[in-house]
Amino acid sequence: MPEQRSGISRKSAEAEAEYGNLVRSEYEHGFVTNIASDTLPPGLDESVIETISQRKDEPLWMLDWRLAAYRKWLKMSTPQWAAVHYPPIDYQAISYFSAPKKTELKSLDEVDPVLLETYEKLGIPIEEQKALAGVAVDAVFDSVSVATTFREKLAEAGVIFCAISEAVQQYPELVRRYLGSVVPPTDNFYAGLNSAVFTDGTFVYVPKNTRCPMELSTYFRINEAKTGQFERTLIIAEEGSYVSYLEGCTAPQRDENQLHAAVVELIAMDNAEIKYSTVQNWYPGDEEGRGGIYNFVTKRGDCRGAGSKISWTQVETGSAITWKYPSCILRGDNSVGEFYSVAVTKGRQQADTGTKMIHLGKNTSSTIVSKGISAQHGIQSYRGLVRIAGKAQGARNHTQCDSLLIGDRCAANTFPYIEVKNPTAKMEHEATTSKISDDQLFYCRSRGLSEEDAVSMIVNGFCKEVFNELPMEFAVEAQKLLSISLEGAVG
Amino acid sequence: MNAQALESDRPAKVAASEPDQGPFDAWLPATAPNAEPAWLALARAAATERVHSQGAPTGKSEGWRYTGLRALLEQGFTPVDAQPAALLPEDVDHLLVPGLDSHRIVIVNGRFAPQLSSLAGLPKGLRIGSLRIALAEDPDALTDDLTRVAGDGAHVLAASNTAGMDDGMVLLAAPGALVEKPVELLHISVGMDEPRVAQPRHLVKLGDGAQVTLIERWASLGDALYCNNAVLEIGLGRDAVLAHRRVQLESPSAFHISGVYLGQGAGSRYNGINIGLGGRWSRTDLVMRFAGEHAECDLGGLYLAGDGQLVDYHLDVRHGLPHCTSRESFKGIIHGRGKAVFDGLVYVAKDAQQTDAAMSNRNLLLSQSAEVDTKPQLEIYADDVKCSHGTTVGQIEPEMLFYLRSRGIREGLARRMLCLGFAGEIIDALGNDALAAHVTEVVGARLEAAPL
Repeated sequence: MPEQRSGISRKSAEAEAEYGNLVRSEYEHGFVTNIASDTLPPGLDESVIETISQRKDEPLWMLDWRLAAYRKWLKMSTPQWAAVHYPPIDYQAISYFSAPKKTELKSLDEVDPVLLETYEKLGIPIEEQKALAGVAVDAVFDSVSVATTFREKLAEAGVIFCAISEAVQQYPELVRRYLGSVVPPTDNFYAGLNSAVFTDGTFVYVPKNTRCPMELSTYFRINEAKTGQFERTLIIAEEGSYVSYLEGCTAPQRDENQLHAAVVELIAMDNAEIKYSTVQNWYPGDEEGRGGIYNFVTKRGDCRGAGSKISWTQVETGSAITWKYPSCILRGDNSVGEFYSVAVTKGRQQADTGTKMIHLGKNTSSTIVSKGISAQHGIQSYRGLVRIAGKAQGARNHTQCDSLLIGDRCAANTFPYIEVKNPTAKMEHEATTSKISDDQLFYCRSRGLSEEDAVSMIVNGFCKEVFNELPMEFAVEAQKLLSISLEGAVG
Repeated sequence: MNAQALESDRPAKVAASEPDQGPFDAWLPATAPNAEPAWLALARAAATERVHSQGAPTGKSEGWRYTGLRALLEQGFTPVDAQPAALLPEDVDHLLVPGLDSHRIVIVNGRFAPQLSSLAGLPKGLRIGSLRIALAEDPDALTDDLTRVAGDGAHVLAASNTAGMDDGMVLLAAPGALVEKPVELLHISVGMDEPRVAQPRHLVKLGDGAQVTLIERWASLGDALYCNNAVLEIGLGRDAVLAHRRVQLESPSAFHISGVYLGQGAGSRYNGINIGLGGRWSRTDLVMRFAGEHAECDLGGLYLAGDGQLVDYHLDVRHGLPHCTSRESFKGIIHGRGKAVFDGLVYVAKDAQQTDAAMSNRNLLLSQSAEVDTKPQLEIYADDVKCSHGTTVGQIEPEMLFYLRSRGIREGLARRMLCLGFAGEIIDALGNDALAAHVTEVVGARLEAAPL
């Protein structure tokens, strides 16, 4: 398609000219990579889904699954209950497929140098990755995975870590068995859309009694103007296994709202443990709230086996709008669910986030620690559900949500839903909202710290409980991110 | 979110297809009362229109998420049209609280019953009487007060009360009036030939600096099926103090809906304790608004939900002005197949700096099939505030029961002791020995007999 390609690169050049000078220093990762890409025209109907499926060489069952999801999605409506406000999204104005043009790579040397440069700007030099800290990176650039490292080492342990499109080809029986079993296509509007049009994402399978030898990590990157990203992540931990997965995201600055509707499904069998960590710093829009990513994500973990454990840790500093509730279904007896979250909203950012802990099995326990920081005109809501079913004998939940307000034009809301149907359950919920106290500030300042450093220190202390749950490299990045995010928000 | 919540109280689809019949239309009297002042007729017409067009909230409406209305709608209530044979004081003697000395106004099936009331010797500055009589005597005296506090924020059932209001209590305290003896507002419901709904409407207005204690009680003769849908509007002047005690002990088959709508002037103090024990299905809305700075609002509550009972408390406390304080502390004990719902919202508006609010909701589940759904919410748009909420759900520690049983105390009594220990904080806050003893007795007896 030479014609289309030249059209696209012309568009990219225009975008570069138009937005290049808009790039502000506040957003470190704001740049548009100028590489040719293969993009479908905007719009969504069955033929678009067929094309996506065709481009990915998918088997027929996958196409049928997508089409079934699409038909159900048509009958669904967007959720309205979240405390976020945005103009209605035109789902026909979005392009549902975008792939960097070179997709068959034998080694890293073949990766487009422009791409590699992008990663370097983001601080993940792929060349160094092999030597570095044993982190394998499945870098997703727009919708297609272009480079995967450390595959051999993982393969030795029997761990499958690949793009989900690859898994559909190579491990169809696994994908077929588990895909949509935690988040069915009918779950909600965005999950339905994702099921119909997802183009890429990550697939992880950890076999029985295996401890994954390294932390798995994916950097997601939204690049091409007007492409929504619809990743689909599926992680399966078999009996007695352990895996830790890191997800980090950045996006270039642009003046167009971008939709991001990902679905993440985690499945933990008997005594398996999955640790899922996210650092999200997508473009939040400018001071007036223009641009920025709409982040409507469905994340859910299913503790299917007895004694299994799923732990979500998230640091959310980016996106114009976040709508995200990483949840745990505690089905197996003695299973454990955890949710640790730090969310920052400033400028005109809006975040409606929280978790759901559904206790079904006996002696299940869950912990929720949510720290919200709201500055400038940011609006932040914690929305969580703890449900203890009648048969969940001895279930235990502890919830703590704290909000910190910086400035008198921001908002912090707490909407917990607690449903208990078993008398042996023990459930505690506490929430506080306050500002940084003048005494704390005075104490720090009297010891010679600048106001900004003092605030940064206090805020980092406020979030420490959550940062402690992050893997080492991530914790450092998260702290840095938090300090950068709050620059200029204080005073 | 409050505006949204109210928005969402409206059903997704307005029943435009059948304009002739809304689910609560039958609750309204067939003919409007004649010779009514124009302002009241207007308010009534607007409310009637709302009841008619809005219909019943569904499970999808946020404010009714856990409170099904089906049971209520199935009964086919119609308004009380005729009064039962006049009760004599000795008929209701057993409903009085022993040792409680009060100025008493009695409402029977929504209508003022002068022969049961004892309103002689009211202190200077205090006026208590029937709404119906007050409106007849001076039609325009209440223009600025009635239907002012319970405005648009109220749900459809409060609108139904406005549309169908017939009688109730008016309590007016002049500025500076200090009333020592508590005022008792006693509702007595008597079963009728068919299920009837009474919609009493009360107005309490305290002038600047006035201090009053109001004990509001709900009782019934026998275990009849009926419905009370009450609205109480309270306006507190500057530095006024109202202690409000509410004891709901409706008949086991009754439906109870009540709304307290409070407007507080600067520096005023409201202290309300809600005891919810009776009724098969009950819903209480406490809606608090501050109209002046440095006001304090203290809400306490104790609810018991037993077999087949649903008890629902909704709190909506809005801090719209700086320097106000509110405390919300509710405790619940649920046994049998009881279900309790607690939904508390503290809203702090943009400029309400120096707000201090703390909400807590603690629940004890005594049986396998008991259920509690609790939703304490904070919505905060100001930064210099101190707000918190806490919720717990648990059971009686088996070790505690064992300890008492090992000392020869039988299980029912041990349970009673432990639960009263849990509930004691709220009962003690009633601040009236006779009333506290009465509530302790009723709660204790219920718990001791509670089938698990």
